[in-house]
Amino acid sequence: MPEVHIAATSRTELGKGPARRERQAGRVPAVLYGHGTSPRHVSLPGHDVLLALRTANVLIRLDGLDGGSELALPKAVQRDPINGNVEHVDLLLVRRGEKVTVEIPLNVTGEVEPGGLLDQQLVQLSVEAEATHIPPGLDIDVTGMEIGASVTAGDLALPRGSSLAVDADTLILHVIPAPTAAQMEAEIGVEAVPEAPEAAPAEAAPAEQAEQSE
Amino acid sequence: MLIPRRTKHRKQHRPDRSGAAKGGTRVTFGEYGIQAVEHSYVTNRQIEAARIAMTRHIRRGGKVWITIYPDRPLTKKPAETRMGSGKGAPEWWVANVKPGRVMFELSGVPEPVAREALRRAMHKLPMKCKFVKREVGEA
Repeated sequence: MPEVHIAATSRTELGKGPARRERQAGRVPAVLYGHGTSPRHVSLPGHDVLLALRTANVLIRLDGLDGGSELALPKAVQRDPINGNVEHVDLLLVRRGEKVTVEIPLNVTGEVEPGGLLDQQLVQLSVEAEATHIPPGLDIDVTGMEIGASVTAGDLALPRGSSLAVDADTLILHVIPAPTAAQMEAEIGVEAVPEAPEAAPAEAAPAEQAEQSE
Repeated sequence: MLIPRRTKHRKQHRPDRSGAAKGGTRVTFGEYGIQAVEHSYVTNRQIEAARIAMTRHIRRGGKVWITIYPDRPLTKKPAETRMGSGKGAPEWWVANVKPGRVMFELSGVPEPVAREALRRAMHKLPMKCKFVKREVGEA
């Protein structure tokens, strides 16, 4: 996976006030840590970070730091819950050849057999890989899978240099029978019966009786 | 209809309406979802109506998740009653939904079908909502 170069500047003012000023200026506050070093607070250009984070497990080369550039992986990203803007990034220092445990995306392709419904249990898989050779994702072809068939973590072909960080028996996806139209209608019909509003609270009736008796 | 089996207290204070959702802001179970853009109390009837609207549209082949639960009772005093004489009777069960919260998720259907199903469900909900897709690969 290619590195993404981002120009970083050190932050001297910490706390929510300076962090908010950084965000207003179009920058993202971040923290860099790992390998037993003390955390370093940095500021990154907001747009570059937003673009870089579109790739899963992107390898970021931070330029312009005291003591030379550093290689890092995004460890945690805090986003605004509504507009999705990046508010803060935790960056983990990595070295070339170092093994890291990361979550890689699973991409499902194809269609299962008619009458079946794909039930995907995991959308990301935890793998151990070299920091500079993290697989971008794994493709799972489900074309023609029959009802009852399943795919576990052990069934996936991982790229060389990567190994599973979860049990091989971990279920990734399986095919279940799709509910028929009649079943769905029946479910809606049963559920749609309106209840009396006064009967809504479960304990309403006994408690009210107790109050009246007093 | 979703309703708590038993509660510790029959009547509660009105839930806090301020702030944004702290969790449940990403699509995690399905592929598509409905995200709240505003705050609102969502009643169990509205949740059920939205679920039925989307289930009717997808017909078969899809799976629906409801990621909110109406666990807060709201009370109401009877009409033409003077103030005082205690708190009113429990009237509704609501979920306290804050901006950013993903309320429904859907998978197993093509995107155009999911969009239409969720659009119909949004019409049953009391606040502004938006369609969201699962973002894969974020740290």
